[in-house]
Amino acid sequence: MIGEVDLFGVFFPAVLPLAVLAFVTSLAMRVILRRVGFYRLIWHAGLFDTALYLVTLCAFVLATRSVAP
Amino acid sequence: MRTMQKATFAIANTCAVLAALYVAFAANLERPYWAMFSVFVIAKPISGAVRSKATYRLTGTLVGAAMAIILVPPLVQAPALLCLAVGIWVGLCVYCSVLDRTPRSYAFMLAGYTAAIVGFSVVNTPESIFDTAVARVEEIGLGIICGAVAHSMIFPQSVTDELKRRIKTVIRSCGQWIVDLPLQSGHPVDLLAQRSLATAVTEGHLLYSHVAFETSDAPRARLLMRTLEERIAVLLPRASGVQRNLAALSAIGAQHAALNRLIAQVSRWAHALAGDEISADAMHDESELQQQCAAALERLDRSPPGWPVLLEQSAIVELGELTQALADCGRLAAALEESNPRLPVALEKTARRSGSRALSADRGLGLLSGIAAACASLFACALWIGGSWPEGLVAAQFAAIGASLFAALDNPAEPILPAVAGILFALPFAALYEFALFPRVHGFPSLALVLSPALLLFSFMQTFERLEGTALVLAIAFSGALALGPIYQADFASFLNTNAAEIAGLLLAGVAILALRTVDPLWNARRLSRAGWKSLSRYARHPRPSFERWLIQMFDRLGLIAVRLVGTKRESTAPAEIDALRDLRVGLGINALRNVGTSPGAPSGSPTQALLEAIAKTYEERLRGLPGRASTDVAQHIDAGIAAVCAQPPSASRHATLAALTSLRLDLLPNQAPHAAPGTPA
Repeated sequence: MIGEVDLFGVFFPAVLPLAVLAFVTSLAMRVILRRVGFYRLIWHAGLFDTALYLVTLCAFVLATRSVAP
Repeated sequence: MRTMQKATFAIANTCAVLAALYVAFAANLERPYWAMFSVFVIAKPISGAVRSKATYRLTGTLVGAAMAIILVPPLVQAPALLCLAVGIWVGLCVYCSVLDRTPRSYAFMLAGYTAAIVGFSVVNTPESIFDTAVARVEEIGLGIICGAVAHSMIFPQSVTDELKRRIKTVIRSCGQWIVDLPLQSGHPVDLLAQRSLATAVTEGHLLYSHVAFETSDAPRARLLMRTLEERIAVLLPRASGVQRNLAALSAIGAQHAALNRLIAQVSRWAHALAGDEISADAMHDESELQQQCAAALERLDRSPPGWPVLLEQSAIVELGELTQALADCGRLAAALEESNPRLPVALEKTARRSGSRALSADRGLGLLSGIAAACASLFACALWIGGSWPEGLVAAQFAAIGASLFAALDNPAEPILPAVAGILFALPFAALYEFALFPRVHGFPSLALVLSPALLLFSFMQTFERLEGTALVLAIAFSGALALGPIYQADFASFLNTNAAEIAGLLLAGVAILALRTVDPLWNARRLSRAGWKSLSRYARHPRPSFERWLIQMFDRLGLIAVRLVGTKRESTAPAEIDALRDLRVGLGINALRNVGTSPGAPSGSPTQALLEAIAKTYEERLRGLPGRASTDVAQHIDAGIAAVCAQPPSASRHATLAALTSLRLDLLPNQAPHAAPGTPA
């Protein structure tokens, strides 16, 4: 994840698009989990949502690092 | 909000501010204090509200910064043109944000004044426009994200609790009115009650729009909430309809024993409903009440027909509808409590019918606010460029900010004084920090320790409704005055000059709004009421109207009118033509006629279409201000309709039609009781 991505001539740290992507993914996962009724088992939904996002982001970062070191 | 919740809110907010500052320093951002006050700006006691505000603020900031990047480079050679362009953009955004009365309006507002903040600050160094824009977005984004995360993790408070509390209050106060119905038959439902109920519904609507941003465990029940709004909106016109009929009955000196008995029963039931918990017993009693209403209607069918009987029957139908609506409110409120809400079967249909909702928008006022905002920033720019005042750019920025923030308020002058007071109060506070404490601070831990008492105090102040505005300005001015940067630099002259410019900018915004947007509340109420007439005549003519949508807009308008009329402090002298409740009742009558017209087995020969056309014409004549033939047409059509329906055999839809026609006659022709009682065979 070191390095930058070139977006229309503007350089962004590579983690920024990953962070946005992870947010969208975790949003979708939350909607699905809510439909299933998973949140009835959760004590602190705010904490869970944040943790879910961090885990997703971490997964993305690890995945991209293994693909393009 | 309890003290405990206030304390946890303050702690969460302080944590968010410190986290934002820490990250800003670690990332070597140019102005960490921007991140600091962004946290204060989005801080709200309800976590869903924080998250929605965060989303809209981030969107608005991005759009505004992009706009600055588009505007500045081509126009930088001509500062006057640049100021004009930015001013017009700010005005346009303010216009959009006033039209959109949901929390989304915040995004428009931000898009406007972020362009002003970024655009004005780079006028002398246009080559740095891109860096400045990116830096502002980064700092604001950092503050927003820290605030949103902290408020959803540290003791979050769900919006649903607040919503439930409000709905309970509404149901309780409605129950109380019904209890009082027989006591105050002569007096119409007063303006204060109208205002409180209508604002409660509008606030509930706005509050509910935050639920989409709530943490995932909050149940989503948009359908339920829409139906509930619609049912609450029906309560007031129905209750006032019963009162109107009671008044008409006592005006002709008629006896109405059956109606009185029913009212007593309903008010006893409503008293039970208005108690602490909405019990299943009360729901059971409701169906019994409906049966008694139907029985009373049938008994009245057998008595000799005439105007008094029609009045009494129509009052009973209204009472039945009122009972139904209140019971539905109780059921819906109970369903909202459940984690997986299910609607009662009968309500499910209504819920499916209700489409998307929109509050009424006021174009004229939006335009005035937009012009005021543009004028304020242009005037500040003129002072800045014409007077070659270096800190004038801060004044221009604050003029744009102030004009945007105060645009949607009813009395824009009101928050400006607390804002200026907040700035003045923040100055000595900030000076104490800047010149006495900071020289001894080394490193982040000691900075955090020194800052936290002030941050806790400001956050705690934000939880009090009356101090909220002052606390926010205080926090913003405090962070701005500290201007925490990576390197400590104290410069008393620029400190004073910048703060003077802030106050000047805010005052300019206030003056522009006061000069352009102050309107007589009575005039405004008349304007809103006329907008209601227009929508009513459109509704009467519309081939496939959405009743629920019309009802919510009209009810919202009723609240706005009531607020204005209460604001005049002489509601007794309010002109008789402004009566939004009457207009709502007319709409309900039209809807009832339409429903009967489409149901199978409807009494044929009711001249509905001609009557609706005549009603639309009446309201158009009212709009033009010259009463013409339309009201006589309405009278003829109604009387003909009543005579035709009276000839039908008794049925439920016959009662509904008669009640609707009677109520329309009372509302549209209040001073003309029928000469010969219609319905009597002539």
